[in-house]
Amino acid sequence: MEPPGLNHWLVVSAMLFCIGAAGVVLRRNLLVVLMSLEIMLNAANLALVAFSRYGNGLDGQIFVFFVITVAAAEVAVGLAILVALYRLCGTVRVSDIATLKL
Amino acid sequence: MEAALFHLFSFLTLAGALLVITRRDPVNAAMLLVLTFFFMAGLFVLAHAWFLAAAQILVYAGAIMVLFLFVIMLLDAKEETRRCFGRVAGVGALAVGGALLAALAGVIRDGRLWRVPAGDAEGTTAAVGRLLFNTYLLPFEVASVLLLAATVGVIVLIRAPRRPDDAPPSA
Amino acid sequence: MNLSDLLPLLRFLAPEILLSALALGALLGEAALSRLLGVEKRQNLLGWLALLGLGACLVILGDQAARGETLALGRGAFVASPFNALLKTAATLAVMASVTMGLRAPFVRHVGENYALVLFSLLGMFFLLSAESLLMIFVALELTSLPLYALAASQKGARRSIEGGLKYLLFGGLSAAFLLFGISYVYGMSGQGSLAGLRDWLVAQRTAGGPGFLFLTGVCLMIVGLGFKIAAAPFHLWAPDAYEGAPLPAAAILASASKLAGIVVAARLLLGAFLPVAGNVLGSPLSWHAGWSPAVAALAVASLTVGNLAALAQRNAKRFMAYSSVAHAGNVLVAFLALDASGRPAALAAPAIAYYAVIYALTNAGVFAAIHALAWGARGDDFADFRGAARRAPFPAFFLLIFLLSLAGVPPMAGFFGKLFLFMAALQADATHWGLAWLVAYALAMNVVALGYYLRFARVLWVEPAEDLRPISTPLELRVALVALALLVLGLGVFPSSCLAAFRTMGGVLLLRG
Repeated sequence: MEPPGLNHWLVVSAMLFCIGAAGVVLRRNLLVVLMSLEIMLNAANLALVAFSRYGNGLDGQIFVFFVITVAAAEVAVGLAILVALYRLCGTVRVSDIATLKL
Repeated sequence: MEAALFHLFSFLTLAGALLVITRRDPVNAAMLLVLTFFFMAGLFVLAHAWFLAAAQILVYAGAIMVLFLFVIMLLDAKEETRRCFGRVAGVGALAVGGALLAALAGVIRDGRLWRVPAGDAEGTTAAVGRLLFNTYLLPFEVASVLLLAATVGVIVLIRAPRRPDDAPPSA
Repeated sequence: MNLSDLLPLLRFLAPEILLSALALGALLGEAALSRLLGVEKRQNLLGWLALLGLGACLVILGDQAARGETLALGRGAFVASPFNALLKTAATLAVMASVTMGLRAPFVRHVGENYALVLFSLLGMFFLLSAESLLMIFVALELTSLPLYALAASQKGARRSIEGGLKYLLFGGLSAAFLLFGISYVYGMSGQGSLAGLRDWLVAQRTAGGPGFLFLTGVCLMIVGLGFKIAAAPFHLWAPDAYEGAPLPAAAILASASKLAGIVVAARLLLGAFLPVAGNVLGSPLSWHAGWSPAVAALAVASLTVGNLAALAQRNAKRFMAYSSVAHAGNVLVAFLALDASGRPAALAAPAIAYYAVIYALTNAGVFAAIHALAWGARGDDFADFRGAARRAPFPAFFLLIFLLSLAGVPPMAGFFGKLFLFMAALQADATHWGLAWLVAYALAMNVVALGYYLRFARVLWVEPAEDLRPISTPLELRVALVALALLVLGLGVFPSSCLAAFRTMGGVLLLRG
C-alpha cells in the first residue's frame, strides 16, 4: 500500500466532523450531544495535525493544544449546566426541554 | 506499515464515533468515545505529533471522559426508551450533512492535495514547548485565564447555597 | 528579552493586566469577606470595587487612545492601537452599566464569582478586540463566551434561565466547532496564522490559480460560526431564549459588549483577511461574483426579515430585544457588502461598522439598564408588566424612550447616524451604478417596520393605563448610569462626523496594520 496522503487525512477528518454534527442535531440525550460536540472539535484537530504533518510546520499542533484546552473548559461548563438542569427538572433530554424544541 | 496503521486507526476512529452517536445508553457512548479518542491518538502518532498524542490521551481519556462518566452516574441517566432521533431534526441534519459532504467532495477533487509531500515537523514535547512559550506565550496565558474562568463558572452553577441567607429567592 | 524590554510592553497590556487582577480580586474578596459580611453588603462592596477598577481601565484606555501609539505582538496575537482602545472603552462602558445593574439585583448569590465571570468575559472581549491572528481569535472568543454561558444560566432557581443558558452553550459550542473547522482549512491551505499574512497570501494567489475550493469552504464554515456569534438569521435561534432566560445584567452584556466584539471580529476577518475573496453582490443576481459576499448578503436579508418581523409579534421585553438584535445584525451586515466591482471596500465601510457597533452597544446597555429599573416594581418582564410604567417611574421610562428612539433610528439620536453611515457606505461602494440599491432599499423598508415596533413598546410604557400605580423607586447609581449612557448616545449623535473622522484618522481603521 502506498502511504496515505494529505487528502486521506482530510477525508477522515471531514467524515468525523459530519458524524459529530449529525450527533449534535439528531440526538436527544444532552450528554450525547455534548460528546458529539467533542467529536466535531476533534475532527478539526485531526485536520490541523494533518496539515502540520504535510508541510505547515508545528503551528498547527500548537493550535490543537489550545483546542484541547478549550474543549475541556467547554465540557466542564456544559456538564455543570446539565447538572443544574437535572437538579431542577430531573431530565437531560432535549424533548423534555421546551426551549430546545425547534 | 504506516499505510496499514493509518487505515486501521481511521476505520476504528470513524466506527467508534458512529457508535457514540447511535448507542442509546450514555455510559456506552462515553466508553466508546474514550476508545475513539485513543484511536485518534494513534493517528496523531502517525502524524509525528508525539506530544499531542499524549495530551489527547491524558486530557480526553483521563480528564474529560472521567468528568462525563461522573456526571452520567450522578444524573442516573437512563437509556433512551423511545427512538433516539427526532423527525424535524432529521431534515435539518440532512441539509447540514449535504453541505459538509460537498466539502468532502472538494477534498477528494482538489488534485493539489494528493501531491503534498510530508514535511519534517516533529511534534516532540521540546519542540512544541519551545514554540508555545515563545511565539504563543500570550495565547497560552489567555488559555490559563480561560480555564480559571471555566472553573469559576462551574462553581457558580453547581455550588449549593452556603447559608440560610444565601437561599434562592422564592420567585 | 530582558526586563527593560518588557516594561514598555506592559504599558500596552495594562488594561488587560488590570482586568485580570480585578477578576482575581473579586474572587479573593468573596473568599475573604464571605464570613464577615452578608450577601447584600458583599454585593455592594465588591460591585463598587469592580466599578472603580473598570473606571481605572477607562483612564488607561483613554491614555492609550490619546497617545496614538501602536504595537503588534506575537504574529498578530495582540495589536494595541488607539482605535482598539476606543472599542475597548465602549465595551468597558457597557459592562460597567451591567455591573451597576447587578449592584442590587436580588438573585445574585455567588457575588464575587459573579463579578469575576463578568470581568473574565470583558477580558476575553479585550483580547478579542486586539486579536489579529486566528488562534487568538479562537481562544479569546471562548474566553468571552464561556463566562457568559455560566452567567446566562446563573439564576439556578429558574428553569428558563438554565434552559436559556444551555441553549446558548449548545449553539455556542456548535459555533465554535464550525469556526474551528473553518479555521483549520483556512490555516491549513494557506499556512498563515495572522490576518495580515492571510490577506497577503490571498493577494498572491490571484496570480497563482486562486486559493482553492477547500480554502473557500473554510471561509464559509467560519461565516457560519461568526453568524452564530453575532446572532444573524438563520443562526439566531439561541438568542431569544438566552436573552429571556438570562438575568438582566447578563442579558445586557450579551446584547451590548459581546455583540460589539463579535461584529468587530467579523469585520476584521471578512473585510480584512478575506477581502481578496469577497466577490460582490452588485446589481442583479446574474452579475454577482462568487466569494463570501453572496453568503453574507443572504445572512443580511434573512436577519433583516426574521429579526424585524418576529420582533413585531413579541410579548416579552427581553425576547423583543433579542429579535431587535437580530435585525441590527442584518443592518450592520449591509455595510460588509459595501464593495465596488473590483472588490475594494467603500472608504466609509469600516468606520461606519465600528461607529454602529459602538453606538449599538451603548444604546442596548442603556435599554437593558432602563428595563432593569422598570422591572424593579414589575412582576416580570413581559410587555404587560410594563403597562403605564411611565407613570410609576417616569425617570427610567424617559430614558428608555430615548434609547428606543435611537435603536429605531430617529434623528438626532446616534442610532440614526449609525444607520445612515451604514447605508451611505453601501451606496457609495458602487455609486455610479447603484449596485447595492436593492439591498439598501430592502433594509430601509425593514427599518420602517422597526420604527413601528419600537414605538409600540414606547406606547406600552407611556400611553397604556397602569393597573398598579405605586411608584417604582430607581436607585441613584442606576440613574447616574442611565444619564451617562444617554449623554453618550446623544453626544455621539450630535457630533457624528467628528467621530467618524476620528475613527478614520486612527490609522488602518478597523483593519490590519501593514
